[in-house]
Amino acid sequence: MIAPLAADLNELALSIFAVVVGITLVITYFASKRMTSATDFWAAGRGITGAQNGFAIAGDYMSAASFLGIAGLIFLFGFDGFLYSVGFLVAFLTVLFLLSERMRNTGKYTMADVLSYRLNQRPARAAAALGTLAVAGFYLIAQMVGAGVLIEALVGINFSVSVIVTGVFMLTYVIFGGMLATTWVQIIKAILLMTATIVLSLFVLERVGFNPIDLFNQAKDASPEGDAYLKPGLFLDSPLDTLSLGLALVLGTAGLPHILMRFFTVPDAKAARSSVVWAVGLIGVFYVMTTFLGFGARAFLGTGGEEAAGTGGNLAAPLLAEELGGGAGTVGGDLFLAIIAAVAFATILAVVAGLVISASGAVAHDVWSNIVRKGKDSEHEEVYVARIAAGVIGAATIAIAVIGGEGLNVSFMVGLAFAVAASANFPALLLSLTWRRFNTTGAVTGVLVGTISSIFLVIVSPGVWPGPDAEGSPIGWDLANPGIVSIPLGFIGCWLGTVLSKEETRAEHDFDELYVRSETGLGAEVATGRGLLDRHVDEPESPAAATPPAATTR
Amino acid sequence: MAEQPAGSGASERPAEINWRAAEQSSEFRRLVRTRNRFVYPATAFFLIWYVGFILLAGYAPDFMGESVYEGLTVGYLLALSQFVMTWGLAWWYLRKSNREFDPLAEEARRVALKAADQTKARR
Repeated sequence: MIAPLAADLNELALSIFAVVVGITLVITYFASKRMTSATDFWAAGRGITGAQNGFAIAGDYMSAASFLGIAGLIFLFGFDGFLYSVGFLVAFLTVLFLLSERMRNTGKYTMADVLSYRLNQRPARAAAALGTLAVAGFYLIAQMVGAGVLIEALVGINFSVSVIVTGVFMLTYVIFGGMLATTWVQIIKAILLMTATIVLSLFVLERVGFNPIDLFNQAKDASPEGDAYLKPGLFLDSPLDTLSLGLALVLGTAGLPHILMRFFTVPDAKAARSSVVWAVGLIGVFYVMTTFLGFGARAFLGTGGEEAAGTGGNLAAPLLAEELGGGAGTVGGDLFLAIIAAVAFATILAVVAGLVISASGAVAHDVWSNIVRKGKDSEHEEVYVARIAAGVIGAATIAIAVIGGEGLNVSFMVGLAFAVAASANFPALLLSLTWRRFNTTGAVTGVLVGTISSIFLVIVSPGVWPGPDAEGSPIGWDLANPGIVSIPLGFIGCWLGTVLSKEETRAEHDFDELYVRSETGLGAEVATGRGLLDRHVDEPESPAAATPPAATTR
Repeated sequence: MAEQPAGSGASERPAEINWRAAEQSSEFRRLVRTRNRFVYPATAFFLIWYVGFILLAGYAPDFMGESVYEGLTVGYLLALSQFVMTWGLAWWYLRKSNREFDPLAEEARRVALKAADQTKARR
């Protein structure tokens, strides 16, 4: 255990926390007054603009792991830290080219809407709900444990209290404010994170006369690794493992339920498309700047910063902020540190809120409303169940994080979430939209094979089996990342399940409808909601426009 | 923010649309062909460029560590090229969508809706 960085500036850090949290609670209050329908709860009335959604996607996607974690990896291992971040950005091309507009054109609230569009409702929805809950569950546990560890280290609040506080805010946003509050929390977080990163980067660059090459050389000279610091290989020492991770990132992002869900919040496919381009701009600039933070921390903190930065170098960026503000114990240093701590907290809140609302969609909209009640429940009931589901999922995650404690090995969980997304969700979604012959059996087999093979290969990987310190794997599998095997298995599962089962006449017939709708936007769900700041309470313009024929209620 | 996007809502009656005919219309085929002609090669390109970068980092670390200019390495430049590629392809796709794909999609929608109206009128 390292001493909290900001133990003696609790008051300053907590008052900045209070301001950020206060703003998000006001937003939640306004959002809660605007929530009348299921479309409001899960899709913010589809009234989010492309640019707003771009910020929200960035806020939903960039976790504390990418803010503090990647800066820390660059601080510790130089080039490999940067290599790590490249995949997170390139991944959005898969989303943009293959899924964003098609999702918006054919879905309603969840990715299961798209997968089950022309397949047998109950099995296809169950498969998509499984994929959603597996991804959101692993991701959420990793984020909550990370939140506890970080907040404890930054402001000295006990781990369990940190987890519970984070969880309570997350649930407040989702349960009372639904997607509208979640979206604005994500937008504010993205603005805070980008601003903090830009300001710190400018401070770093100012110190080297705005010459980044000087920064690299100073960082290299300050590193005990010397020339190797600017070369690959210090952290990612198995090329095959890196490739496996890279594939899971690049294809898995297009299978992350909380990211896909964001496309249902905009009025049309054009806005979905422009939101991805906004997100690509923001996320790209952010990751380029993490190199300034990481190399800056190395150049200015030297090897002396390593112990204080902790395992994984998570505290390298906060320490750098303190240094740039004037150093430990100065007013400027304390202020910078407190601000970074608050930004990190906002970062965590935005991601976990997005994960919980997507999981609540899988439980309430897919499992409860469409599988259990077969679409016969009222919209009121659906939203009611969604709130209960969010509460139960949130409480369960908090319990797991608190009981598991900070020693819980979560390092593999984010990678596993991406692997399941790439191996189960992505193949099934893509094939259902593009392959006429694809059927229910194929979707169910593909999702099961992708999910099970990812989890199995992670369990038997050397870092996890039977504990982080044990050597070897029972089946001789020595990669930490399953993607290189599980992604092809997911596709093969979809294909074999389809060709070995009977042709589904209805699924093939309805492919025409899904295909035309997904490509043209014909008959897509229309916007019904009001923005957060719109004052007037308008009724939808015409009843026909407000109740478009929904794919899910055929 | 609350306006209805033009052309959607009450004027479209998807229930009346003959989806099979819409899928086979030359307008729809043209949309899909034009879009795929961009999307598939672009997807192949960025996957190859990205996987190539990872493989180079894995199997040619010394090449990646070579200095191009006063300590700026090949590896860092290639990593930056991934960012430029992502921004470039995203911007190119946005431009092509607005100029080429959207008008073709509008045309395909119009043909399908017109056919639906005629069907309804005959009843």
